Amino acid sequence: MCALSSGVLSHLSLLEVKARSRKTQLQQHSRVMELKAKVEALKTQREQLKAQIQTHQDLQKLRLAMDKQCADEEEENMEEESENSKLLRLMARHTQLKDLLHAHHLIGGYDIIKTRKGKGACVSIATAYEDVFLDTFNLEIDLKPTVKISRHNIPPFIPLNNLAEQNNMQTDLRVFLDTLSKHLNAFAGRKQQLKLVKEKHKSVEVMESNVLCSLLVLLFTVPREKTAVLCTLDYTDHTRCLPTRVHLESEDKQLPDSPQWKKNCTLLMETPVHKALITMKKMGSIA
Amino acid sequence: MDNTVKRLLERLVRRIPSRMLKTTLDKWSRLTATQRQSIDYTESKWALTEKLLAICEENELTVKHIAELEMIHVIENPNLGMWHAFQLMDPQGDAHSVELTQFKEQFKSHLSELIRHVSIKIKKHTDEAVWIRIAWGDTFSRPNHLKPTYVVHYLQTPYVFLSSLTSKQKPLLSQALVLSTRYQAIKDANLSGRKLTAIRDLLMKQYLQVFPTKFPSPLAERNRVVSNLHIEKEQAGSAANRHQMACEAFGDGLLPQLQSAVYKLETKFRDHTNKTMTERDEPFRCVVKFASTNLLESLRHSASSGTQKVLKTVIRITIIVFCKEVSYVTITWYVTKSCRILTASLQVSTRGHQSPGRNSHIVMLLH
Repeated sequence: MCALSSGVLSHLSLLEVKARSRKTQLQQHSRVMELKAKVEALKTQREQLKAQIQTHQDLQKLRLAMDKQCADEEEENMEEESENSKLLRLMARHTQLKDLLHAHHLIGGYDIIKTRKGKGACVSIATAYEDVFLDTFNLEIDLKPTVKISRHNIPPFIPLNNLAEQNNMQTDLRVFLDTLSKHLNAFAGRKQQLKLVKEKHKSVEVMESNVLCSLLVLLFTVPREKTAVLCTLDYTDHTRCLPTRVHLESEDKQLPDSPQWKKNCTLLMETPVHKALITMKKMGSIA
Repeated sequence: MDNTVKRLLERLVRRIPSRMLKTTLDKWSRLTATQRQSIDYTESKWALTEKLLAICEENELTVKHIAELEMIHVIENPNLGMWHAFQLMDPQGDAHSVELTQFKEQFKSHLSELIRHVSIKIKKHTDEAVWIRIAWGDTFSRPNHLKPTYVVHYLQTPYVFLSSLTSKQKPLLSQALVLSTRYQAIKDANLSGRKLTAIRDLLMKQYLQVFPTKFPSPLAERNRVVSNLHIEKEQAGSAANRHQMACEAFGDGLLPQLQSAVYKLETKFRDHTNKTMTERDEPFRCVVKFASTNLLESLRHSASSGTQKVLKTVIRITIIVFCKEVSYVTITWYVTKSCRILTASLQVSTRGHQSPGRNSHIVMLLH
C-alpha cells in the first residue's frame, strides 16, 4: 500500500510489479509459507517498536532528571555507566539543546541552521521593538576552510566588516552575533520610533533624519505663543534606542533654560521619542 | 536674455514629456499662479518654450533657477542617463556621524577650493538621498550648465552614484567626496546602469533576498491556487524545490532591473583533441557580457523552470575572447542545480583549422 502522496506513477509501477509476481506464484502450499514469514516479520517489527517505546520512556525520565539537575545546580553523578545509558544521556542532552534553540527562537533570538552539508551555516537575526516583530536579517557563513561571511542582507550602514573584525568572528562567533544582534535591534527600534513619530505626531515636523536613524531633528511649536523649538536628537551609541544627546534651540532664547523644557530634555533622554512626545503634548509644552 | 538660459530651458522643455511638464513646473514653484494658469500644455513644444522664456524673463530668472528645474526633473526620473557606482573606503572615526549640514558645507568648500568656477546645488530627497548637481567651469570660464554632473549619496553608507563625469573632473570630485564624507579613498564599484534605482537597490540590499531557514515566516505563505481538488501535480514537490533554490540564488519578488552584467574572465581551454588551444601557456582573457531586459528575472525564471539551456532569446550572451587563434565563438549556457555555477560550452574555431573545434568547458562562478 502506498500513499497517494508518493505519486500516481509510483503507484502504477507498484501495481505492475504485483501483477508480474502473481503470475510466477506457486500453489496454495507456498501461500501458507508466505503468511508464516509475514507473521515473523510482523513479530520482529513489534519487538522493534516496543524497544523504541522503552527508549523513549527512558529518555523522558532522564530528561526530567537532567532538567531538575540543571535547576538545582547539583554536581553530576558520574557513576559507572553502561554504553546504553551513556548513549541515552547523550540523546537526552541533544533533545535538551534542541528545546533550548527552539526557546531561543521563540523569544526572538537568532536562529542558526546548517547549510551545504555542514560546510556552512545560515544565521537569521530577528529584530523586534515594543513587542512587535520587525525585519529579519540573514547571514550565510562559510565555516570551512575559514569562517567568513559569504552573503547577507544587512544594509550597508551597519558596519558588518568592522564588527566581524572587532569581535573576532573567527574565534568567537557567538560574541559577534550578539553584538550584531544588538546593533540591528537598536537600528530597528530607532527606525520604528521614527515611523511612529511620523504617523502619530503630525504636528511635529521631522526636519532631518538619516538612513541609520542615528540623527533626528524635530520642529516643535509651543501652543499659545506659537514659538518654534528645534530639537536635535543624537543617537551616537548605535547599540541603543535612546539618544545620547538632546539639544534644544529656539527663537525665544530663555525657553531652553526654563524648568519645563529642562524637564522635557531629560524626558527625551530617558524615554523613546514617540512616547516622550505624548507626555509633552499632555503637559502642554508642544502643540 | 542670456543665451545659456535660453539653451538650457529649450533643452529641458524638449526632454520633459508634455504630460509631466505641468507637475514639474508646479514643484518648481518659481512661477506665480496666474503664470501657471496661462500656460497651455497642449501647444507644441516650441510654443511652450517661447511662452516659458517670456515668463522667465518676466520673473528675471537666472540660469541657477533653470538648473533647479532640471534637478527636479532628474530626481523624479532617475532612470535616465548612465549611472556609475563608486564605493568609499576606510572610514575615519567620525564618518558615521556626518550629518547633512556638515556634509553640504564641507563638500562645497572643498570642491570650490579645488576648482575656481563651479556651481554646486545640493538637495536632500525624501528617501534620505543627497543629490548634488555640479556645473563645471575652470580658471577662465564660467560654469557650463549644459553638461552638469549629478551625484547621489546616502549618508552613512559607502556608496556614491555618479552620472556624466569626465576623466578630468573625476579626481577633483573624488577628492571633494572623500574629504567631506570623512573616508580615506574611493574606488570603482564596477556597477553601472541606466536605472539608478536598480543599481542602488542591489548595493543597498533593498530587494527581497531568500535564505535557508528552519522557520519559514507564516505570513509569507505562497497562496496556492487550488483549481481542482482531484488533480494533483506530480512534480509539485520538485518544482517548489527548484523555485526555492532559484529564489535563494537570485532573490524573491521584484528584482532590481539589471540590463547587463560584464565579467572579466581568465580561463584555460580543456579539449584534448585541440592541441593548439590547450598548449597555450597564458590563460585566455575573456570578457563575458550578459544582456537582457531584466537579467536577474530571466536567470531566476530559467533556474526555476528547470530548463537546462538558458533561452537565448531571453538573455543575450556575448563572449569576446582576446586571443589571435580564435576566429568565431558560439556559446551555449547551462544552469546547474545550485544556480551558482554557469557552465559555458564554447565552440571555438581556430585559425588554420578548417572544421570548428569541438566543445570545451569554461566554468565560471556567478557571485
